[in-house]
Amino acid sequence: MIKLDALTKYYKKHARGILDVSLEIKKGEIFGFIGPNGAGKSTTVRTLLNLIFPTSGTATIDGLDIVSDTIEIRKRVGYIPSEVNFYGDMYVKDFILYACSFHGEIDQVLMDSLVDKLELDLTRKIEDLSFGNKKKVAIVAALITHPKILILDEPTSGLDPLMQNMFFQLLETEKKNGTTIFFSSHNLSEVQRICDRVGIIKEGRLVKVESVEDIMKTRAKTVRIKTNDVFDITDDMVNVEHLNGTVSFVYKGEMKSLMKMLSILEIEDLSITEPALEEIFMHYYEREDVK
Amino acid sequence: MKRLMITEFRRNLKSLILWTSIVAGMAALMLLMYPAFKDTFAQLEDLLSVYPEEFLEAFGMGEGGLDMSDFYGWFGVEGYLFVNLIGGSYAAILGGSILSKEEDDKTIEFLLSKPISRSRILFGKAGVVALNLILLNTFVGIVLLIAFTIYGDLNVPVWLLYSYAPFILQMIFASISFFISVFVTKSRKVLSIGLGFVIGLYVVDLISKLTEEFEYLKYITPYEYINAVTIVNDEMIKPLYLLISILMIGLSFFGAWYFYRKKDITA
Repeated sequence: MIKLDALTKYYKKHARGILDVSLEIKKGEIFGFIGPNGAGKSTTVRTLLNLIFPTSGTATIDGLDIVSDTIEIRKRVGYIPSEVNFYGDMYVKDFILYACSFHGEIDQVLMDSLVDKLELDLTRKIEDLSFGNKKKVAIVAALITHPKILILDEPTSGLDPLMQNMFFQLLETEKKNGTTIFFSSHNLSEVQRICDRVGIIKEGRLVKVESVEDIMKTRAKTVRIKTNDVFDITDDMVNVEHLNGTVSFVYKGEMKSLMKMLSILEIEDLSITEPALEEIFMHYYEREDVK
Repeated sequence: MKRLMITEFRRNLKSLILWTSIVAGMAALMLLMYPAFKDTFAQLEDLLSVYPEEFLEAFGMGEGGLDMSDFYGWFGVEGYLFVNLIGGSYAAILGGSILSKEEDDKTIEFLLSKPISRSRILFGKAGVVALNLILLNTFVGIVLLIAFTIYGDLNVPVWLLYSYAPFILQMIFASISFFISVFVTKSRKVLSIGLGFVIGLYVVDLISKLTEEFEYLKYITPYEYINAVTIVNDEMIKPLYLLISILMIGLSFFGAWYFYRKKDITA
């Protein structure tokens, strides 16, 4: 449904955009696209939407070329931007009607249902809305047009946990209806929750594409131990740091071995947490480890 | 495109009303002053005779120029310039902001995610600019119609030219600003450049009239293309000037379209 073939974008002013990105997303799949800020997520999204033109390579959406068939593509695509910048002087209802007007008649039943689920006030001006409420407007404006493909650029930022939950439910319904979803995010856990597969982009390059199941299996933990005992540092422990009697490291091995090792230590304090995405990029998906 | 144009028109309506009021108000004010000055023109002419001929020509009052004791001449000297300067400023602001505002406010990301081509966005917005300027001049035209009818015989060609010749000048400034706004996307910067053209080319117009040496500069200033002397005395706009105007407007919009189709929206 979405196919990128060696897609490359260089900026004139900023050296890096995206380099040689190739991937294929199947119909009805939710594909997570993760990476830290500045990795090239938004560049990829903007290229797919033809806001910017690729330097080289090609991409197709629903078999249509992103440059020459962009109008046809936009008929099929719903887009939620990371930063919502809509016309501040418009009322929410007028804005949604305006967004619909490019696609044809409005589906009033769907609109009522979305507005109800997201608790959106249609009578307010967009400039008076909070960031989260603006995001809700963007969600309604994207879903109201019955898109075959959804392109989401950090769609949950600004939404409170309840609304995030509602949004994920809406996405699951879309998936059931066969919608293909390209979900760009820097939040690993939300991508894990909703996506079938995940692509990791780092410094403009796609460094890994894996199913969420596999990524869960191979996922690392950040371990912090306060102890006076000495223990062996194994190959499964990376980024080892010693500070005031506390040893911290990213653990990539079997959980059983870690528990066995910990059980023989005299431990004052212990924490095992999800590693920050940065840590994964720095130590787990080092370039030589991937592909 | 229809919906885009309606939305765009609505968004610009308040500023259209404001600017139309200012331009029409200035025209009305100058015309209201005519009866008070009518009887003192003999003295005024004596006073003006001490000025050099070039100076008087620069303001349309030289030999073969406008007769201020006639209300068409009075408006040509006293009101028409304001209509052109203020109307031109509005045109430059409107033309320079209608496209760049989308990028400056980053709303272009929304618009370009919808199934509408860049060409249609561009021509829809250019259409709204033209429509707003036609409405402004029509309203000014109504004010002139009332005033000219009250003061004496209505000369329809002169009235029509006074009403719609500024449209040509305004479209030149609007289209130049529109073209610049494809490259300079900060609205404030575009407005400064656009207004610079409005004032700068007026200065060029004065220079071309004040000095014989720089007379050739008249070909590059829109104020000369639609000058009041030709309108009142010849009841026309010179065909060469009309051609240059159409070329300037056409090339500016064409250039804007040509580059906008292929530009990266980095807002």
